[in-house]
Amino acid sequence: MEAENASDSGRKLRSDQVSGLMLCALAVYVWWMNRAYPVGTLSEPGPGYVPLLLAIFMAVMGLLVIVCGGKSVPLAQLQWGEAGRAAALLMACGVAAFALERLGYRITMAAMLIFFLGVLERRKPVMVALVGVGFAFISYYIFATLLRVPLPVSPWGV
Amino acid sequence: MVETFHNLLLGFTVALQPQVLIYAFIGCIVGTLVGMLPGVGPLAGISMLLPATFGLDPIIAMVLLAGVYYGAMYGGSTTSILIRLPGEAASVMTCIDGYAMTQRGRAGPALAIAAIGSFIAGTLGVIGLMLLAPTLANFALRFGPPEYAALLLLGLLMLAYMTGGSMPKTLAMAGLGLLLGMIGIDAMSGYTRFSFDVVELADGIGIVPVAVGLFGISEILLTASQALPELPKNPALRELMPSGEELRRSIGPIARGSLLGFMIGIIPGSAHIISSFVSYGIERRISKTPERFGNGAIEGVAGPESANNAAATGAFIPMMALGIPTSPVTAVMIAAVMVHGISPGPMLIAEQPNLFWGFVASMYVGNVVLLILNLPMVGLFVSLLRIPYAYLYPCILAFCILGCYSVSNSVVDVWIMLAMGAVGYTLRKLNFDLAPVALGLVLAPMLELSLRQSLAMSAGHYAIFLERPIAATMLGLGSIMLLFSLKPFFSKAHSDWRAKVGLDEVN
Repeated sequence: MEAENASDSGRKLRSDQVSGLMLCALAVYVWWMNRAYPVGTLSEPGPGYVPLLLAIFMAVMGLLVIVCGGKSVPLAQLQWGEAGRAAALLMACGVAAFALERLGYRITMAAMLIFFLGVLERRKPVMVALVGVGFAFISYYIFATLLRVPLPVSPWGV
Repeated sequence: MVETFHNLLLGFTVALQPQVLIYAFIGCIVGTLVGMLPGVGPLAGISMLLPATFGLDPIIAMVLLAGVYYGAMYGGSTTSILIRLPGEAASVMTCIDGYAMTQRGRAGPALAIAAIGSFIAGTLGVIGLMLLAPTLANFALRFGPPEYAALLLLGLLMLAYMTGGSMPKTLAMAGLGLLLGMIGIDAMSGYTRFSFDVVELADGIGIVPVAVGLFGISEILLTASQALPELPKNPALRELMPSGEELRRSIGPIARGSLLGFMIGIIPGSAHIISSFVSYGIERRISKTPERFGNGAIEGVAGPESANNAAATGAFIPMMALGIPTSPVTAVMIAAVMVHGISPGPMLIAEQPNLFWGFVASMYVGNVVLLILNLPMVGLFVSLLRIPYAYLYPCILAFCILGCYSVSNSVVDVWIMLAMGAVGYTLRKLNFDLAPVALGLVLAPMLELSLRQSLAMSAGHYAIFLERPIAATMLGLGSIMLLFSLKPFFSKAHSDWRAKVGLDEVN
């Protein structure tokens, strides 16, 4: 019975009410972090002055969003169909960011593109290799060689 | 007037140099491509090119980036008309009637009117920029910290009012942007704030990773699993000619769109997006046959396309004359010139006439280049869209990583971009507008500094904002907008300005 009630209240919770709660939580977090900086006085505001004003402002806006959010979309009705793929994309980009200065631009980008095209999109292996390696090397040539934008190189010089 | 003409001649001697022309041409082509590709708006495109401009002459850097900006405005209309896919947000309204015209076999005239309208609006916008920016720069010499603080607050309030959605949500997003702007060393006291012991964060969060993450990455996260609609046959050059009736119907919307877009462009915010929405609404409102809108009315293409191009040009006025970016795009452009030791602001026009007038003249040149490029080469540009999106989006993601990394050769920027991508994805799901976040981040250092300086000047009295006429007027305007936006809380009619101009049904 209790579980049913909980799921019922979850269904009734509106997206704006959740958004407002998140904004209030952020405001509290900023206020908490801001204790480390002197607020100063009105005539001589310190580094903590404006962040404190902003934390108060965010809390007020959060409350207003909650109050006005009664007619927003119910949280349960929000569509998250692409969330799994979005998470996979973000994680792959995160791995690429981690590898960028360790493996160099060309190897990292080639590997990332091969993962996207080969694993996520299941394209033909020849096209995957051509696009992955081709993009990595051509973009490196354009940006690093022609436009002289410094890009990381692997310990093996690639 | 004679002086302006002489200055413009000086500008053309700069803009017509072969090297500047070549870069204007490259900027326009890249911009058109950027505008056409979903997920790469003008901001992401400019951000990616930014590091490549560090080694260039400042005027060439500006010309290149400005070419990308208004090239993207043109490019976005092509995909909107042909496949109902706005390459960038300002082209959303063009989709409605532009695509309906394509379905009726009138894609050519729709593309032609979009290009002609953009050209006329862009040119009128440059004339406005030329006449207004020096005057505004002179006026801005009277500005002190209270006036700047009031102006920046007015900009944020105006953005919140004009975006038309929930004002508390929009203001909260502006607040989030301002909070992000608090990260890093405080300019007045030297304290390092909210850096979590990450050395790179002491310099603050840059606009490029935030903007690319919020707009570029989040768009890809939302659309990666979708396929592009099928492309129609490319219109041949001879099919582009609009009929006499279509031309006649377009004159008014182009004129109104140009004027409206230019005025909205001067106001901080996503002016080019807002202006196209307002223009569409007004055209439908004043039309004697509003039922044609949504079914292929040429006015629905001519008005918004003119408005977004005029707004893109108008946005350069506060940037050049006041040194205030009115949008994330102009913020990135300010960053591009600051790398060369040039600070946009009231003194720029007097101290760097070559840069200002060369830039103005290059915009005339850019508009002509775009008109020449866009119509005959529309088929070539559209061919790019025949590449399956499954191949496009991984390359766009790779470009985003490349662009963010190369701004300051820091992986931390890439992490920030990815985090902002996730935040942007979630916020878009929850129906938040993201433009105020980017604008808040850009305005945060200026707003904080001018607010604290104002309080120091007045020994802690907020009354200083009311005692100075310019600041008081700006705050008064901001308060009026705030009151207008509070109206729905007290009246039963829950209609915002979009509904009033007739956009409630199309959204």
